[in-house]
Amino acid sequence: MAYEALDFYDIDALLTEEERMVRDMVRDWVDKEVIPNIEEACREGVFPDKWRVDLGEMGILGAPLKGYGCPGLSYIAYGLICQELERGDSGVRSFASVQGSLAMYPIWDFGSEEQKNHYLPGMATGELIGCFGLTEPDYGSNPGDMITRAEDKGDHYLLNGAKMWITNGTTADLAVVWAKLDGVIRGFIVEKDDPGFSAPEMTGKHSLKASVTSELVFQDCQIPKDRILPGVKGLKGPFSCLNNARYGISWGAVGAAQSCFDSAKEYALSRIQFGHPIASFQLIQNKLSWMLREITKAQLLAYHLGNKKDDGTWIPEQISLAKMNNVDIALEIARMSRDIHGANGILDEYPVMRHMANLESVKTYEGTHDIHNLILGRHITGIQSFTREP
Amino acid sequence: MAIGVLLKQVPDTTAKIGVSEGRVDETAVSKWSMSPYDEYALESALRLKEAGGEDVVAITCGPTRAAKMLTDAAAVGVDSLLHVLVDDLSALDSTQVQSILAAALGRADCDVVFCGKQAADTNAGSTGPGVALLLGASCVSHVSEVSPDGGGYLALRASTGGDERVQVSAPCIFAFDKGDEELRRPNVRGIMMAKKKAIETISPSDLGVSLDNSRVTVVSHTPPPEKPPGQKFEGAESVATVVGKLRDEANVI
Amino acid sequence: MDVTVIADSTADGLNPVTAQLVGAASSIGGTTTVLCPGGVGSSQASAISGVAKVISVEGDCFGTFEGGAWANALNSLATGELILAAASPRGRDIAASLAAIRKIPVIQDVTGLEAGMVVTRPIYSGKAIETSNVSTPCVITLRANAFDDAPEGGSADVGTVNQSADVGLAVKEALAKASERLDVTEADIIISGGRGMGDPSNFSHLNEVADIIGAAVGASRAAVDTWDEIPHSMQVGQTGKTVTPSLYIAVGISGAIQHLAGMKTSKYIVAINKDPDAPIFGVADYGIVATWEDALPVLKSELAKL
Ligand SMILES: Cc1cc2nc3c(=O)[nH]c(=O)nc-3n(C[C@H](O)[C@H](O)[C@H](O)COP(=O)(O)OP(=O)(O)OC[C@H]3O[C@@H](n4cnc5c(N)ncnc54)[C@H](O)[C@@H]3O)c2cc1C
Ligand SMILES: Cc1cc2nc3c(=O)[nH]c(=O)nc-3n(C[C@H](O)[C@H](O)[C@H](O)COP(=O)(O)OP(=O)(O)OC[C@H]3O[C@@H](n4cnc5c(N)ncnc54)[C@H](O)[C@@H]3O)c2cc1C
Repeated sequence: MAYEALDFYDIDALLTEEERMVRDMVRDWVDKEVIPNIEEACREGVFPDKWRVDLGEMGILGAPLKGYGCPGLSYIAYGLICQELERGDSGVRSFASVQGSLAMYPIWDFGSEEQKNHYLPGMATGELIGCFGLTEPDYGSNPGDMITRAEDKGDHYLLNGAKMWITNGTTADLAVVWAKLDGVIRGFIVEKDDPGFSAPEMTGKHSLKASVTSELVFQDCQIPKDRILPGVKGLKGPFSCLNNARYGISWGAVGAAQSCFDSAKEYALSRIQFGHPIASFQLIQNKLSWMLREITKAQLLAYHLGNKKDDGTWIPEQISLAKMNNVDIALEIARMSRDIHGANGILDEYPVMRHMANLESVKTYEGTHDIHNLILGRHITGIQSFTREP
Repeated sequence: MAIGVLLKQVPDTTAKIGVSEGRVDETAVSKWSMSPYDEYALESALRLKEAGGEDVVAITCGPTRAAKMLTDAAAVGVDSLLHVLVDDLSALDSTQVQSILAAALGRADCDVVFCGKQAADTNAGSTGPGVALLLGASCVSHVSEVSPDGGGYLALRASTGGDERVQVSAPCIFAFDKGDEELRRPNVRGIMMAKKKAIETISPSDLGVSLDNSRVTVVSHTPPPEKPPGQKFEGAESVATVVGKLRDEANVI
Repeated sequence: MDVTVIADSTADGLNPVTAQLVGAASSIGGTTTVLCPGGVGSSQASAISGVAKVISVEGDCFGTFEGGAWANALNSLATGELILAAASPRGRDIAASLAAIRKIPVIQDVTGLEAGMVVTRPIYSGKAIETSNVSTPCVITLRANAFDDAPEGGSADVGTVNQSADVGLAVKEALAKASERLDVTEADIIISGGRGMGDPSNFSHLNEVADIIGAAVGASRAAVDTWDEIPHSMQVGQTGKTVTPSLYIAVGISGAIQHLAGMKTSKYIVAINKDPDAPIFGVADYGIVATWEDALPVLKSELAKL
């Protein structure tokens, strides 16, 4: 049955035909491939390889990038893709975000011509998987103090250090790793077989179970000189990647929220207590109307931001606001939906508890909720409050 | 020569159908889709092309909104698109629609044609056999699979006693039942190309088909009759009564 | 008005719908000639009351089914102002072809017919009913069981005519009916069993019924969870398949809300359950309070009679 998404303000009518076609293609794929298989993938803690192949075949990886075999879609289309994927599961959207915005994007923007030609076409088709190594065990919200470092050994670089919480790490063919070279943050491309490199998987997650999360360990890891990204120095490199991924998350969160809303609505209409469907009780209606209201606002935020991305008039703080708001309301909607489902809400028969657990990660990664608060606080006041140092 | 596919845009089978002022209210249809059996026909046509066949031409007869469906068809690999613009298909009778489609197939130079066994709106099933007669082609109905066979084709069709594999040569029409192969999913590249693909839009008179008065006039559309309230019967003896009602009242067996 | 009825048959003889075609023709005051393609069932047809004449149309072309060829062979004999055929797969094909040859309109799958040619038919898979006026001459196919049978007791003359037509297709291989069962999401009729079936081996009774009416067999979750023999692919309900067949027969299923979520939009629902208070009766159009052990044998024999 074709899925009809909540679209109270008819945002559909604002999309181009191409955007709608891409959205419908991904929507259909999620209905046929993700939703029927997601619980099993979560139970086994795997990201099915078929999904990688399908995403590559659909041609949506690195959606807004142009050239080098990349799709060249609008940012709105990229947002819609994220929305549909995350309606299935945040883990699927994470895969696509990391591949497109965190691994392909830095090569596309900061890489040499040779690097772009070498990596991007295979990454666009999903034959090559990438990951993004920024976070370290001791440095999460303030990556600027990272300890992973690179040394110039004349004919090669030597990497030492460790990254943690790296999505796609174990399965990736290449990692874009941020490390300090002479005290300055630089991007390096590390390939899976490089000597001194390993990527053990982290286990025991209660969230994003169908997504692979890993450590990246560099012990005298040797890489050729031509693997440094020539085009960027400093935190600007990783942060510009994050901007794109965060933008995608602001749409993705809407997808997860729609899924929770749909499930709550259907359940409330069919669950009878005290002789009536619980949907007929005012307290339940209040919850449903709150969900509708917040989803509609979140959609409008994401859509407007998408237009700004497409015409280049955005600022990073606008992305912070959208990421933070949309994930926040999605998480609240997931919790509310879980509540409406009563005991059934804790079962894996319904998507809500899974979305709820996933969104806890989404709230933390790509800048925690509060880090975005601090970004906005700095924007409003002109005073940074990340650190006590001036 | 080309492979022709006849496609019809219909309300999505999950869409609610409302009636207002004695007519199905098309403006209230939430989603329009390619008729499901046409999808199987299209997939089979694309496979035939891939097996060394000619280019695929998609043809529709319908209002402006049907153009979107042609673009969807282009996104999965159809080579050219022909739209015979008719604002209100329900004002035409079967002979008129068939004349238009036969003329369009002639214009596109198609000697092998794929279509659905019936469209999901009118549920009639007259198009394939009717157009075949006008073209002097053989029509194989209730087909689920077609493959090239020497100069002709082998088709798997449902028959009264089971399935049978029949051999046929061009000119011929395959009217599709549910096939084994679902219509392929498009990809971004296909969607981008589809957007650029021109749709040739023509009128019935461009095809030399003059539409005299239709010999069928729709008087009204009505919602289906309300079902009678549930009935409960005691004991196995009542099974015969229920079977009778299923046959006569409900008309489902 | 002269009416030509195209008999609907299989190799075994006339299908019951043929008598309904005659009944419909008589109800609008028609004088009916029945054409029997391939000569099948002509003596049966002559015994239908209200038939004026039967023509057994014979010829090589009737050895292989091709709607267009059969229509060409029947055409010169199909002289009625109204031509009636069954809305069966073959009937529709012949009807559409005849109409195209004669350049007259065809209306398929009609469920109501009045003189002056007012026809009603379901459209959008039954989500609406269309009433239209059609001018004669025309071809109309009628849905099986929508019209009363003409009684037996006729004794019309049977003539035989030999016709020929070019057949463009050749049957290369006849395959036995696929024994593989229909998936519940594809079937127009579903019969499902629940925990009340007692044992998975008892699903064989459901299979037998399904074979008679071409149904798919489904199950409740309790049945799927309890018995390894019943695969999840058969499960109907919220966490199984959502189905909307024309007819859903629930046997030994209590009707829990999660089961209803998957089948309550079925057009007609029959419930067989021994507990008169089972919630399934709340959604059933026809409820039968009985054990399946008692009810299924009767169901089998009644359906076999159709
Ligand atoms: C499933 C998953 C996948 C991930 N994938 C990747 C990946 O692919 N690549 C990658 O590089 N990283 C990845 N991460 C890491 C993620 O980006 C970090 O977890 C995130 O940046 C937060 O860092 P942290 O966990 O160390 O928390 P911390 O920075 O230690 O923060 C802990 C808490 O303190 C708060 N806090 C911190 N500083 C301040 C302050 N100045 N003022 C007020 N409050 C503050 C935070 O808001 C938070 O509530 C992933 C994480 C998860 C959970
Ligand atoms: C989150 C969730 C999702 C679920 N999803 C589904 C789903 O997708 N599909 C589904 O079906 N269920 C689902 N369930 C389970 C559902 O709640 C019921 O438990 C289940 O449908 C009961 O199956 P049943 O009717 O076969 O069994 P029971 O409820 O045990 O009913 C058996 C019935 O058989 C009758 N009976 C017994 N003996 C005979 C006899 N000899 N002849 C005639 N009748 C007899 C009894 O009177 C009784 O009514 C779900 C439950 C949950 C919590």
